[in-house]
Amino acid sequence: MMQETIIYNESIEKVLTNINKVMIGKEDVAALSLVALLAQGHVLLEDVPGVGKTMLVRTLAKSLDCDFRRIQFTPDLLPSDVTGISIYNPKELEFEFRGGPILGNIVLADEINRTSPKTQSALLEAMEEKNVTVDGKTIPLKQPFFVMATQNPIEYEGTYPLPEAQLDRFLLKLKMGYPSWEQELGILERTAKDHPIEQIEAVINKDELIGIQAEVKNVYIDKNVQHYIVNLATGTRRHSAIYLGVSPRGSIALMKAAKAYAYIHARDYVIPDDVKYLAPFVLSHRIILTSEAKYDGLSSEQVIHSVIKNTHIPIRKEFH
Amino acid sequence: MNFAKDNRIPFLYTSVLYICGFFLFLEWLYPIQQVTDTSDLNVFILFAVFCFLVSMLQIKWWFSFLLKGFALVFIINSLFMTTYAFLSKLWFSYIFMEISFNINMLFHQQWYELTPLFRSILFLILIWLMSYLLHYWFVIMKRIFVFILFTIIYLTVLDTFTVYDADGAIVRTFIISFVSLGMANLFKEVDRESIRFAWTKNSWIWIFPLIAVVFFSTLIGYAAPKYDPQWPDPVPFLKSAAEQAGGGEGGSSVRRVGYGEDDSRLGGSFVQDYTPVFQAAVKDEHYWRIETKDVYTGKGWERSAEPNYETQVNGYIALDTFSDNVKTEKHDTVVEFQGNTMIEKLVYPYGISQVEAGEATAFLLDQNSGEIRTRVNNVDRSLAEYSITYDMPSFAIDELRKASLEDPTAINDQYTQLPENLPARIGELAKEITSSDNNRYDRVRAIENYFGQNGFQYQTSDVPIPKENQDYVDQFLFESKAGYCDNYSTSMVVMLRTLDIPARWVKGFTSGEKIADNIGGTDESYDVYEVTNANAHSWVEAYFPGIGWVPFEPTQGFSNLTDFEINLENLEEQDDTLQAPEQEKPEKELKQEEEKDTAPAAENNTTMKLDINWGYVAIGIGIIMILAFLLYRKRYQLRAMMLSVKFRSKHDAKTYQEAYHYLLKLLSYSGLPRSSNQTLREYAKRIDSRYSSDEMGQLTDYYERMLYNNEINETETKKLTQLWKNLIKRIMA
Repeated sequence: MMQETIIYNESIEKVLTNINKVMIGKEDVAALSLVALLAQGHVLLEDVPGVGKTMLVRTLAKSLDCDFRRIQFTPDLLPSDVTGISIYNPKELEFEFRGGPILGNIVLADEINRTSPKTQSALLEAMEEKNVTVDGKTIPLKQPFFVMATQNPIEYEGTYPLPEAQLDRFLLKLKMGYPSWEQELGILERTAKDHPIEQIEAVINKDELIGIQAEVKNVYIDKNVQHYIVNLATGTRRHSAIYLGVSPRGSIALMKAAKAYAYIHARDYVIPDDVKYLAPFVLSHRIILTSEAKYDGLSSEQVIHSVIKNTHIPIRKEFH
Repeated sequence: MNFAKDNRIPFLYTSVLYICGFFLFLEWLYPIQQVTDTSDLNVFILFAVFCFLVSMLQIKWWFSFLLKGFALVFIINSLFMTTYAFLSKLWFSYIFMEISFNINMLFHQQWYELTPLFRSILFLILIWLMSYLLHYWFVIMKRIFVFILFTIIYLTVLDTFTVYDADGAIVRTFIISFVSLGMANLFKEVDRESIRFAWTKNSWIWIFPLIAVVFFSTLIGYAAPKYDPQWPDPVPFLKSAAEQAGGGEGGSSVRRVGYGEDDSRLGGSFVQDYTPVFQAAVKDEHYWRIETKDVYTGKGWERSAEPNYETQVNGYIALDTFSDNVKTEKHDTVVEFQGNTMIEKLVYPYGISQVEAGEATAFLLDQNSGEIRTRVNNVDRSLAEYSITYDMPSFAIDELRKASLEDPTAINDQYTQLPENLPARIGELAKEITSSDNNRYDRVRAIENYFGQNGFQYQTSDVPIPKENQDYVDQFLFESKAGYCDNYSTSMVVMLRTLDIPARWVKGFTSGEKIADNIGGTDESYDVYEVTNANAHSWVEAYFPGIGWVPFEPTQGFSNLTDFEINLENLEEQDDTLQAPEQEKPEKELKQEEEKDTAPAAENNTTMKLDINWGYVAIGIGIIMILAFLLYRKRYQLRAMMLSVKFRSKHDAKTYQEAYHYLLKLLSYSGLPRSSNQTLREYAKRIDSRYSSDEMGQLTDYYERMLYNNEINETETKKLTQLWKNLIKRIMA
């Protein structure tokens, strides 16, 4: 396959270069994570341990000069372990809030399906509301705020899988995947001495990032492309293998993501390619397959691809 | 050359394919001789062979152009221009004259006036073009089905609507088509898939099955029992449903009225043509005679002998159709030809004695047929104007009645000829009609009047042509009972002959229509008559020993223009003698009115076949086909041109969208369609990798910005137009 050069937005390119110094062959996942970050959404990473999920998030945090926090979800983790807790301060004679790890800029929620639904929903609520309420006090989360939750798809023993309705709090669902033989060799070579993450530096700061997030909102999306998004969403509702199709929230998510993706690629307008590329990542966790489809071994991604295949792309402008 | 190492199809095979194309084309040429007046087809076939051969050899285009052009000139020269030295000054001026005349005629839509030379040139050019086109279709494109389809349509149409019998042709076409389709398909496949084909080694793999399939399908097709046509003959079907006469009577063809030469197959309908032929100032109406014919074939008229022309001295015409005993009156007339009708023969009244038409004019008389050819400077020419002195006869009826029955042997032999298979009922009818008459004149009159009293219809449309085994006269007398002058006059001659009365068939014109009265005559008034093509006519001459040939008019609605004198002394016979002419008088008036009211009820003699037009029709269709083909071939370029012109003047999004979508259409046509789920970028990538360029990408980028970002950048228009054009060129290549 011919490797084509992709044009990136200047700042984004710097970030990606940074990530490429650490990660090998994960540029697409990195770019997608940025899409979620810029669209002010969150990512659910579904993969086996050890493929570089933490490294990716850490590199991202470092490049963006962001505060990085990690929560390792365990069955005995309490909601307050996520949000924080008020502790009585004898000096001041009052309760003092001690923020939990959710109060970082970039939060890695590792193995989110290992903890109890109560704790899970504490995280998901925080993601949705962008603030936490402890003891009647509402504390806003830091900006920018980006959660990357991971899920182990192999072990189901003692897990609490996220209910489908809650999965759509995540803008994207990604998979890291194993590196290729050459890539893995490259990883070994690179990490033989020092880990390269120690050498990288921030390329943009938080304020710049917030500025970019605002700019993303201004990316233009034409009616034609909106039609395409709606066509895709309605396509999932009609597909025979899908029990529950994408909700309007899914369409909005797709549009937001597409805007961010367009921005990353240095465009101030969305094209159907953006939508088409993002659709599997945005939509696949927002549908429920029929039991027949599951029985036939179809995956959500396959079904979304089949929806894409059956959705025609508007390429003609109506002139009045 | 060793062709096996690449995938090109060996010259041998493409040549075989091309030769198949040539044989198919020959099927187009064969019928031309039968359905048109083309006399020598071999010249055209030879030229076609030459053109196809030159095309096949794939020599440089300019050299092949020269070769073919020279062959064309050579053929034209040897066919029409032998009198002039080849490529001499005269030769060129003659050619120039011919061509300018014909072009003039073309512009005036006088299709009938085109000369044989010009028609031949056009036809040769058509053959030339066909040789090129078929080379393109068969060898380069290998798309031959359309041509085969057209060939089959052409043959079936000709078979149905003309005398051409395509039984053999359709079998040949079938075989050639199958062979060539099989080959072309294989070659196309080889081309498309870029198969390396060991041509010499594996030939039998495809040659044998192909031949076997063609052979067996032909054999089966040939041997299989065939149903008779399930549909009625389309010819009458296509005509009015209300017809009674034409249905199932062997078909008919529509002709155009006018004087013509060929009377060997009479019958069929014609359309009226009121083009003036000549004007004449005469004192009295009379027939304008041109020639007679003596041999009836059962289908039409021919001559018993080739004409034997004798040059007439000083314009004195030594033609005697009646004896000196007949009372005559001296008349003169001036005939002025009009329009473009070419009759290279003298049109003259009965009793012609002298013609004046300028010094260089010579008159050649064939005594047998009474045909007088006109020549100027030893070349057959149609005269523009001449004056005739003639002794207008007046036949005395009692003389005719008294005439003996002793015909000279020569006259009897020549003018009582009948075809051997003439149905007996014609003779029986003639006998029945004349049973009560005891002299020749009354018998002739009885037959002449028979038609007027027995329900015969004068009509020019829906007149059948006799079938293969049918007699023309028999069909008219007993079946159709409808027709025009040829039917009536021929029937009368044949009936007279069955009674052993010498009779012959005369062609010429009637007196025409009076257009001016009493013009400047000194003693007697001259009237000016205009004779048009519609006045072409045929009538009857019967022989009376001692008197000569006397004209008779059997056709309904026409009156005998010859004077008959009634002898008042013979009172006993007065009633009888009066009967015939008197009876005609009211009929004449009545019918003349009818003639005026119903215009088509005019005369026709030997009609000029519309079939002749097949030549032009073929040329016309050919030219239209070529034009249509070229337009079709170039349709994308033409559209591209139009769009680029539009795009140059208008830079709006709508135009660009149109141009871009046209590109998509074009790409789709050239086998690279965009599927509807493909984004423009993905598609552009595919196109660009196919053509190893980035033009589609650039154009798509611009279009995307326009489409999804409402962006229009007018500064880029020029560059875009160029890109767009380049890409179209690439696709077209």
